[in-house]
Amino acid sequence: MPNYAQALTRAHEKFLADLFPGDGLLTSPEEMNAFSVDAGRVRAMPLAVVRPERLEQVTELLKWADAERMPIYPRARATNQVGAAVPVHGGIVVSLLRMNRVLDISDRDFAAELEPGVVTADFQAACAKKHLFYPPDPASVKTSTVGGNIATCAGGLRAVKYGVTRDWVLGLEAVLPGGEVLTMGGRAHKDVVGLDLKRLFVGSAGKLGLITKITVKLIPLPEASASVLVGFPTLEACMDGAMAVFHAGLLPSACEFMDENVLKVVRMGSEIPVHESARAALLFKLDGTGEGVDAEAKRLVRALEPVHPVSVVTGQGAEEEAIWDVRRDISPGSYRLRPNKVSEDIAVPRGRVPDLVERAQGLGREFGLPVLCYGHLGDGNIHTNVMFDGGKEGEEATAHKVKDGLFRLALELGGTISGEHGTGLSKKSFVGEQLSTAEVRVMDEIKAVFDPNNIMNPGKGY
Amino acid sequence: MAGDCILCGKCMAVCPLLAATGREELAPRSKADLCRVLAEAPGTLSESDVEKLAGLCLGCGRCAEVCSQGVNVPELVSGLRAAHPDFRKWLWKTWLTRARALWPAGSAAAKLVPEQFRPEKLGQSLKMLANLSGGPGLEPIMRPESYPDHWRGKTVLLFAGCTATFVQSRWLMAALKLLDGLGVEVIPAEFKCCGSGLKSAGFADEARELVEHNLSLWREAGKPPVVTFCASCHAGLAGYGQAMEAGEAALWADTILPLSYVAQGISFVVTATSPNQIGYHHPCHAGGDDPDKRLLEAAVGDLLVAATDKQCCGFGGVMQLTGGGVTESVNRRCWDALSGARTVVTGCSACITQLKASAPDGVQVGHWLELME
Repeated sequence: MPNYAQALTRAHEKFLADLFPGDGLLTSPEEMNAFSVDAGRVRAMPLAVVRPERLEQVTELLKWADAERMPIYPRARATNQVGAAVPVHGGIVVSLLRMNRVLDISDRDFAAELEPGVVTADFQAACAKKHLFYPPDPASVKTSTVGGNIATCAGGLRAVKYGVTRDWVLGLEAVLPGGEVLTMGGRAHKDVVGLDLKRLFVGSAGKLGLITKITVKLIPLPEASASVLVGFPTLEACMDGAMAVFHAGLLPSACEFMDENVLKVVRMGSEIPVHESARAALLFKLDGTGEGVDAEAKRLVRALEPVHPVSVVTGQGAEEEAIWDVRRDISPGSYRLRPNKVSEDIAVPRGRVPDLVERAQGLGREFGLPVLCYGHLGDGNIHTNVMFDGGKEGEEATAHKVKDGLFRLALELGGTISGEHGTGLSKKSFVGEQLSTAEVRVMDEIKAVFDPNNIMNPGKGY
Repeated sequence: MAGDCILCGKCMAVCPLLAATGREELAPRSKADLCRVLAEAPGTLSESDVEKLAGLCLGCGRCAEVCSQGVNVPELVSGLRAAHPDFRKWLWKTWLTRARALWPAGSAAAKLVPEQFRPEKLGQSLKMLANLSGGPGLEPIMRPESYPDHWRGKTVLLFAGCTATFVQSRWLMAALKLLDGLGVEVIPAEFKCCGSGLKSAGFADEARELVEHNLSLWREAGKPPVVTFCASCHAGLAGYGQAMEAGEAALWADTILPLSYVAQGISFVVTATSPNQIGYHHPCHAGGDDPDKRLLEAAVGDLLVAATDKQCCGFGGVMQLTGGGVTESVNRRCWDALSGARTVVTGCSACITQLKASAPDGVQVGHWLELME
C-alpha cells in the first residue's frame, strides 16, 4: 500500500479550490460527515469532497491525484451496504451527483447516453415517455444512480428475465488515474472487436477509473404487467411451486421469495395479502403485451395447483405497485425485528436454493438468532439477514459466526458470497476463500494496468 | 431518534432539496447522521455548524413519510434550531405570532421599501410579504352544480388558517359556501395559528400554547370533525396527536379532514368562457393521497395541463431567511414542471405565498377555492 497523503497541503487546497469553485469543494467536518459513511454504516473521514460538473474537472483531478498519490473515492448516492464508498484511506471523495444529465434517448438506436449521477428510476421514467425500457431494477431503484448501479453491477428484481446491469451497458467513458480519457464500446448492440474493457468496469466498484459517461441498451417498454402473490403451507411446497412455474414454460420478469420470518417482519409494518397460515411466499411478475400477460397469469396460477398454495392473489396497476412496495420495504423493515443486522446476498445455482434456505434457517436456530431469507429465487440470489441486538453482549459476534457459516455454505453449494452487493469492506476478508490465488493475481495485474499507483477506491475487496 | 436511521437512503428519493442542489450533505439521511454523530461523538463536530447545515431543510416532511424507521428529520432540525435561537428566527417568530397585526401591514410596508435598499437575502421574503394582500384573485371558472347528501345536517369546525383569516378572506367565504351547499353547520370558533411554523423554527413552547388553545376549542365543541383547506395547516394539526393520549389521538387523526375530502361527490360545471390552462401544484404536506388534486381533476378536466408531483415550491419556512438562496433552485424545478399553465392553483397557503412571489410573467397563482364562482 503506497504512502497516501494524511492531510491536505496548502498547495492541495489551492488546487482543489481553483478546480472546484463555490460549493464544489467541501472541507469542513460537518459538511464532509455525510460522505464519510454509506448504507454499510462503517465510517472514515475524507480529506476533502469535490463535486465535478464536467469531464475536464475529472481529468484534471485524476492527473493531480495520481501525481500526488491521493486516494480517490467515487460516490453517487452511496446506498451500497458493504462500505464500498467509505474513504478508508482519507483522500478525496468525488460526488458525481451533479453529473446527472440524460444526454440522449434514441428510439431509433434503442440506446441512451447519460451521465453517471442520473437516478435510475428517473431515467426509466424518461425512457418510458418514449415507450422504451431500461430493465435493471435494484431495490434501491428510486434512490440509486445508473453510475452507481454500473460500478456495483446492480442486479435486482427483474434479473431472472432481463439479466443484471452488465447486460445493458453498451459503452462507457471513463477517466483513468493520470487523466487519460478511455472511451469503450458505443451504440452498436453487437461488438466483438477487442477485449471487452467496458465489462471490466461494470462491477469494478470504482477501482479502475472514474466513469463519466454511459451508453446503455434499451428495449420496447412492455405494455402490461401483472403480479401474482402466492402463499404456501411449507417451504418445500414453495420451492416446488417455483419450479412448477418455470417447468410450465413461463419466464416471469421477477420471482421473489419470502420465508416465514420475512412474512412476520412485513406483517409488523403493513398488511400483506398472504394467508396467515403461509410459511413461505412467492411474488411473481409477468410483463409483455396485454393479451400475453393475461394468458400467462392464468397459466401460472394453473401450474401452481398441484402444490396446493394457501392463497393466490393477482394484482394489476396500483394494486400491483402496492404489493411491490411491500417487497421493497423488507430490507429496511427488517429492523423491526432487531436493531442490527448482518446482511448478505449469497447466490447459489438455482437448483440448490432449497438446500441453502433450509440450512440458513438451521444456522439461525443453532445460534439463536433470526435469519431472514428472501429475494431473487428466480436467479438463485437469496438475501440472508442475520438479525441481532448490538446492545446485548455477544450477539454481534454470534451474528458474524452465522455469517461465516452462510458464506461457507454458499461456497459449498457451488455459489458465491455476493450475488449483487459486492465485497467492499464487509466481505473483503472472505474474497480469498472464493477466488483462487491465480484469479486474484490476474486481477491485481489488470488493476495495475489501469491504476498503477492504487489510488482508485483503495482498501476494498474485489 | 436520529440513532434509528439505518442510512438506507430511501429518503433521498423524495428530498426536493437534494434533487435541486445535488448536495448530499443536505439529504435527510445526512442530517440524521449529523445528529447521531453530534450525540454519540461529542466534540468531533461543531454544534452550531451542524445546526446551520442541518437547518437547510425545507421542512416538507416527504422524508418522514417514506422512512421505515420512523425518523423525522424536520423534527430533528426543529430541535437543533431550538438550541440555537438567533435574530432571523426571532423575526420569523414575530411574523408568525403577530400575524393579525403584521401581515396586512407587512404587505403594505414591504411595497414601500425601495428596491435598492432590499437586502439580497431578504428580497424573496419581502416579495412574499408584498404579495400577502388580498389582491384581485383568480377568475372563477367553475360552479358547484349539485351536492351529495351524506354530510347534510352534520356539524363541523372550520380551521381556516392564518392566511385565510387575516388576508385571503375570499378563501374562507368560498369554503363556507361549499360547506353550506353540502348542508353542513359550521360551529363558530376562534382558532389560533396551527403552530407548525413556530415549532419548525425551534419555538416549541410557543407552538405548544397554540396547540393547547386549538385543542381546547375542539374538546369544548364536542370533538366534531375539523375541516381544513390548507395542506400545511392540516399537516400541523395532524402533528397534534403526539401530545395526546392514544385513544384521543386516534379520534383526532380521524376528525381532521381536508375540505376537498368533505366535498367529494359535489359535481361542478365549468363556466370559463375563454381557454384557460390550469396547473396544479401538489403541496409536500398534502402527502401521497391528495384529495385536492382529485377534486380539481374531476372539476376542470382537460383544462388541467400541468401538475407537480415530486417538486417542492421551495417555501421552507424559516429557511427563507436562513437558507442563503438554496431554495431558489428548488423553486425553479417546480416552475419547470408547471410550464404551460397560465393559472396555477394549489391548496396550501405557504405554497401560494412562495409561488406568487416567484411566478413567471403572465402566470397567476391562487388557491383552488378562488376558481369557484
